[in-house]
Amino acid sequence: MRIYNIRTAAACVIGATAISVAVMLNGCAESQKVAAKSGAQLWAENCQRCHNTPSPSTFSHEQWVTIGMHMQTRAQLTEQEKEKIVAFLSQ
Amino acid sequence: MRQLQWRVRWAALLLVSFCCRPSANAQQITVDSSVLQRLAALEQQVADHKPGESHFMVVGLTTFGFISSKTTVTPPGGSAQSTKTVSLGDNGRYEFSPMLLWRHGTKWLLEFEPSFTGGSSLSVNWADIHYFACPGLQIKAGYFVLPFGIYSRRLAAGWINKLAPDPQGIGLPGSDFGIGISGGLPLGDMKWSYDVSLTNGLQLMPDGELQGAGIVDNNNNKTVTGRLALLPFSNSSLEVGVSGLYGGVANAGSSFYNANATMYGADLNFVKSFNPILVNIKSQYSRVSVGSQQYIKPTDSSSFTFDNKQTSFFAQVSLRPTGLDNKVLKNFELAFRYVNYQTPEGSFWGSDYHEEDLGLEYWISWRTVLKFTYGWSRGTDKTNVSTGANGTLTDMNNLYLQFSIQL
Repeated sequence: MRIYNIRTAAACVIGATAISVAVMLNGCAESQKVAAKSGAQLWAENCQRCHNTPSPSTFSHEQWVTIGMHMQTRAQLTEQEKEKIVAFLSQ
Repeated sequence: MRQLQWRVRWAALLLVSFCCRPSANAQQITVDSSVLQRLAALEQQVADHKPGESHFMVVGLTTFGFISSKTTVTPPGGSAQSTKTVSLGDNGRYEFSPMLLWRHGTKWLLEFEPSFTGGSSLSVNWADIHYFACPGLQIKAGYFVLPFGIYSRRLAAGWINKLAPDPQGIGLPGSDFGIGISGGLPLGDMKWSYDVSLTNGLQLMPDGELQGAGIVDNNNNKTVTGRLALLPFSNSSLEVGVSGLYGGVANAGSSFYNANATMYGADLNFVKSFNPILVNIKSQYSRVSVGSQQYIKPTDSSSFTFDNKQTSFFAQVSLRPTGLDNKVLKNFELAFRYVNYQTPEGSFWGSDYHEEDLGLEYWISWRTVLKFTYGWSRGTDKTNVSTGANGTLTDMNNLYLQFSIQL
């Protein structure tokens, strides 16, 4: 009986989490003000949340793409932020 | 047939006369040939540098330094005794951690960071794989830093940390084997993020102390850890987060009954420029509790119990005049941190610990720093009375000089 309850609870939690994640992923959108931000502005605002703003000359384009993915997992950057910051740093 | 041969001979003669035209034309042919050769060489270079779908790179960090320390121990009713030490680059002041990043296209990322911290201490900080499923959803698996608070995941690296030492009490929950999901998403002018993991979990030692996960899982229970954060301002200057952890911690077959650990915490990160000063505030609080259990004294193996709860807190502020025109002054940063770490009273490691650190950094580049930190702390022993040390005061004064660079 106890195992049945645990399985039921686990199924409910997993189901609720999956539904919540799906709803949130589809429901989240940025405002026009945020969407209009340039890569340079996002670079200045987000990198310094943890460390100094990096110099674009530090790495190549391919390296910035890799580091952008690493920083997305570390600092939970949004997809739009990552794309714009990497594009700015690759110039 | 003969007519055809004559025609070929005439054509050859015309070609020879064309090639033997005045020297200006001959030079033109030579130049064209060299351009073609150069073009072919450039095409080969471009082909050699074609990025491909995979990319591998090594980054990382190293930190080394010096510490001069004075420790004064005052037992209850006794006289104070002081000792002084001076150390270069031993455990805690030295670290060499290359990080390997291996990307497959834009969907897969492998991260591996081994770390050498002096002596025979060679460990792994993380070894994991991320799958970027869709915007706002990354799935990870492997050995990774658990999503609890901000310090261990984001601020612990020597070239990021504003002060030389780490705050006490931020070791739990550490890194563990498991799976997880995470992501950051826009929310109008705001932004929010989530990070949830399912891992093997912590281990409860016979004396009641909690330890980070080991290589081998100690039971069949799994631990859920998560952090939810909100950045309420469009300029991302403020981030507030809440974290939680829950899971079974007893070794399989141990005498502990239904032993679970619960952790919850809160963190704050504020970074904003008030020209010419860049203000940086960071703080984290965490509380750990384990359900009531009978523990074993390490001294005589008899059983005893205590309220197994501990808390840790730090608040840090740093100021840097980034808006100044002076190229030297703008690279200095002043930092202060207060730390409070309370471990369970009546346990064999109980204490009430307070620490303050004051530091001055000089940023040689955006990822290279020279730190000068002075720290003073006081620990009041709250251990079980059977240790005979209860009430002992330990005062420490530490002077650090540390260099750190991101590689």
